[in-house]
Amino acid sequence: MRIEVEADMCIGAGMCALLAGEVFDQNDDEGVVVVLDERPPAHLHEAVREAVNRCPAAVIRVYESG
Amino acid sequence: MDGIVGLLDGVHMDAEPSTLPLPLPLPLPGARGRPFDPPPEYETLRATAPIVRVDCPTGVRAWLVSRYADAREVLGDADRFSNRPGVAAHVLGGYSGGSAPIAEGEFPRMDGADHLRFRRHMAPEISTMRRVERLRPLVRQIVDERIDALPRTAGTQPPVDLYAEFAKPLTTAVIASQLNIPAADHHLFHTAAEALFSRRSGPAEVAAAMGPFHAYLHKTVAARRAEPDDDVISRLIVRSDGTDRSFTDAELVHMSRSMLLAGYDTTASLISHALLALLRHPAEMDRLRADPSLAAGAAEEMVRYLGVGAGLMRAVTRDTEIAGLRVRAGDFVVVAVQSANRDTDLCPDADRLDVGRFPAAHLGFGHGPHQCVGQQLARLELTSVLATVPRRIPTLRLAVPFEEITFKVGTAVLGPTELPVTWDGVL
Repeated sequence: MRIEVEADMCIGAGMCALLAGEVFDQNDDEGVVVVLDERPPAHLHEAVREAVNRCPAAVIRVYESG
Repeated sequence: MDGIVGLLDGVHMDAEPSTLPLPLPLPLPGARGRPFDPPPEYETLRATAPIVRVDCPTGVRAWLVSRYADAREVLGDADRFSNRPGVAAHVLGGYSGGSAPIAEGEFPRMDGADHLRFRRHMAPEISTMRRVERLRPLVRQIVDERIDALPRTAGTQPPVDLYAEFAKPLTTAVIASQLNIPAADHHLFHTAAEALFSRRSGPAEVAAAMGPFHAYLHKTVAARRAEPDDDVISRLIVRSDGTDRSFTDAELVHMSRSMLLAGYDTTASLISHALLALLRHPAEMDRLRADPSLAAGAAEEMVRYLGVGAGLMRAVTRDTEIAGLRVRAGDFVVVAVQSANRDTDLCPDADRLDVGRFPAAHLGFGHGPHQCVGQQLARLELTSVLATVPRRIPTLRLAVPFEEITFKVGTAVLGPTELPVTWDGVL
């Protein structure tokens, strides 16, 4: 799994950091998404998919075979 | 009388058309006597007429969207569905509505980059996980203090209204501590919130209550500019002064106003509504008492189960389709969030309250770029309440028959108007 984010459109809602804190963080200045691990281990994949589904601004993309 | 069929040309029909008259009135007639559930008509609408014409209490005629997938699509696509009218223009007469110009700093009605500029400054204050973790001990302490402030034994006393005497002081203490608003001044935003969220208020009443509150916030912003402190308003000033488009006083006033009003009453209403739901589902209350680690999921479930009963309004920006039906630029859309959250496409047993689950991607805080800016603070407060109240007040019960509880109608945030309770002891 490989993760890409479109940080320009992030609204800083914090859902990704809430649901998959090992993979996503938010910067202190604007609350914008920061990807901590672009290729997260398998046991975090489900949480990442949930973060994608719950991102209100739809800025997280996941490539399953990336 | 118009039948539903004639107005549904082009709408995909899964079942027999209903015989509901059209346009339907909002709130739907079945809303009466349904304190936790959406009106029963929504089940029919989701099955047979996922988009219908409705007449709203404020006189606006709109499309009502009731299925999860359509609701999510509308809320998630800010290009086609604008926030310009204001999310509550269908229920609140005091709202400026789509025709009024957007006031300086009125970010909830802005779209795109203009809106994002405000979110980027508020997010670090109230919606990052780091901020939430920093606030968690404070919120726990405030919840405990508000419980400590209740009578130890209420059994022999008049009922205690948990909405007025627990939920409101709790949410007030949390949000006022962040903006550093002293207790002597809390009445200003309480009065403003009551006028804004009352269905009886017209624009004049809302303006009358907002006037002193705005004047106060202007004074506060000026004072924080002169002498920045360690509070949200000061940090908004300092952070935006470092950018090429720093906030004006009016913009800072609007952000402060939004955080205080929403942080106070919407969260207090949610807390009261959730506690009442638990009192009516005692097995769920028992589960939380036995295992407070369920509280975070339970809070999420409460927002799914109870959230945004009044629905959210959008305006169509260009001719397009919703659920296969043509809608035109300028049309209004009401997204029936509570109906969407009870759609079996979201959750197979969506009508059941289950504090043991972390529900799927519900719309209780909205969806899309305008999703509730204070959602993480609301989660934190509700989670703390749900982890604490069942344990510390194990004998909590209603002090009046359930049938005597009255509920808000025709306003943006629903819930009981009072929550009279009693108990044998506080631990």
